[in-house]
Amino acid sequence: MRNISLIFKKVWKSAFVFASLSFLIVTVTQAQDVVEGRTLFKDKCASCHALDHDITGPALTAKVNELDEAFLIPWIKNNVALIASGNKQAIEASKFSPSEMKTFPTLTDDQIKSIIAYAKVGEPKKVAEAGAAVKDEGTSSLSIVGIIAIIILSIIVLVVLGRAVKMLERLILQKQGIAIVEEEGVSLATGVRRLFKNKKFVAFFVLCLIIVLGSFGWMGMWETGVHTGYQPVQPIKFSHELHAGINQIDCQYCHSGAFKSKNSTIPSLNVCMNCHKNVQARTEDGQISPEIQKIYNALGYDADKQTYDKAKEKPIEWVRVHNLPDFAYFNHSQHVVVGEAAIRKEKGIDPKDPVCFACHGPVNTMEEIYQYSPLTMKWCINCHKDADISGKKNDAFYANIIAAHEKIKKGEKITPAMLGGLECGKCHY
Amino acid sequence: MKGSILAMNKKSIVYGTFMVLVTVVMLSACRDKRSTGLEYARNMYDPIAYNQDQPNKNFANGATAQTPPANTDPIGFVRYEYANTKEGYEASAALVNPLPLTEKNLLEGKHFFTVFCAPCHGDKGDGQGHIVKLDKGISGVPAYHGADAVSSRGGAMATMPAGKIYHTIMYGLNAMGSHASQLTPTERWKVVMYVQQLQKIK
Repeated sequence: MRNISLIFKKVWKSAFVFASLSFLIVTVTQAQDVVEGRTLFKDKCASCHALDHDITGPALTAKVNELDEAFLIPWIKNNVALIASGNKQAIEASKFSPSEMKTFPTLTDDQIKSIIAYAKVGEPKKVAEAGAAVKDEGTSSLSIVGIIAIIILSIIVLVVLGRAVKMLERLILQKQGIAIVEEEGVSLATGVRRLFKNKKFVAFFVLCLIIVLGSFGWMGMWETGVHTGYQPVQPIKFSHELHAGINQIDCQYCHSGAFKSKNSTIPSLNVCMNCHKNVQARTEDGQISPEIQKIYNALGYDADKQTYDKAKEKPIEWVRVHNLPDFAYFNHSQHVVVGEAAIRKEKGIDPKDPVCFACHGPVNTMEEIYQYSPLTMKWCINCHKDADISGKKNDAFYANIIAAHEKIKKGEKITPAMLGGLECGKCHY
Repeated sequence: MKGSILAMNKKSIVYGTFMVLVTVVMLSACRDKRSTGLEYARNMYDPIAYNQDQPNKNFANGATAQTPPANTDPIGFVRYEYANTKEGYEASAALVNPLPLTEKNLLEGKHFFTVFCAPCHGDKGDGQGHIVKLDKGISGVPAYHGADAVSSRGGAMATMPAGKIYHTIMYGLNAMGSHASQLTPTERWKVVMYVQQLQKIK
């Protein structure tokens, strides 16, 4: 009996170990399948398919759950051949969109199975990141509370010290044998009235008033019409820090006018849609980010059907940040193309950074855009006094000027046209 | 008696000065970033004519920037006759790059490629741009070269003719949007010229 129970125990133990091991292996291989499938999906499928919603192709999670592998594998390998062979399911599937699906003859059956496994499981949940984000917000509000606490504490300390000084003074007076006049019965109003009877105090009070009002007036005059630091609330919480900083998209991608024209153009929504047709920053429960949804609403775009409705279009009214007075002419292209080298040198811009930073500041760190430079006349003039634009002798503009000067020296005929007098912008701007 | 009042006055003088200084510093520091602040003669800031990105009540859709009326072309506009269809795409193969292959054109093409294409297609056209690496929803970007780089409209990427590349920039394809509003026709051809250099990478 004892032997039997021992054997049973041994068998049971090894069976348990085997079972748990095989379970582990199965989960590991499955996980590996999913990881491999994810890589393959991102590489081969993601340009036309998403898991949870239709883009160029249909949402894949629903499709792999609906269709079986026996159809999916030949379809993914070569859908054209499958349609040509008259497979009913294939013909039905081809009706989804007029654009044909690419063929993938190099994918093996196992690779396709991995992709299907990934499509069924979906994206791993990102719990840790969400926790970190909440923590971040906590610190910022904490620091504000801290500052307020410090202010309150310092006020309390001041009051206590004031009381202590009073007490000490009274003690000194007592020791010197001078009678103390109790003033506790005096009300605040009479105290203030008594203060204002003191000529020295009145003079001091008036002086303070003049200093305060004068400095406010002085600062007010200097800051009139200067919008440095202006950071209006925009209709969409567009972050330059995310787009220009983390994603490293060049300024010109959206503001392509800055290198070609007077204006650095505010991008029209089709430029947003170049990426945001696909990048939807969906939440865990599949909701499109509300800020991206604002782009769709403005365009009348239906993300599920991928159709535009002209009737629902409503332009986004961005709030202008940089507003140079209309009586001053400024041309972006003149500065960032012709003057680039000089501006970089003058403002000490890192060669890796765009020349735009010279006036617009570190835009790639601005969560919300604000005006970095004062845009005052003094600010323009100072740069124009200092910037070094020599070393441009081979430039057509300077060649023209040198040629004109030679003519002037020789006393030859000179016309306004030779000095750029036919440029449209000389009169029309 | 006098002594004590003077002592009190001195204290209040010091205290008063301190408070005044604190208020001045605090008030001058807290400028409302949401407001433009004090402005004098605002009408001199605002344009008399409409800026193109301003609201405009004279048009039905309320915008100043209008698209040209039907069947008209803006001055200097270059028409593109190939439709955004599979047939149009195939026919566009007949177009050749009107620009000569010079170093200057290539350098400019490289600049435009870096700005407008490289975020997804990668600096070397391998489909591994910065945005793809960040993995935020754009992936599966085709490479321009390599044996298994095949266009979703058929044919190897490495041998795609200039006209078809131009067609793709013009209209976009699948996840890629049209880049016609950001690049002028000449700039598009410069990009095509540079892309054709990237196709030669082995």
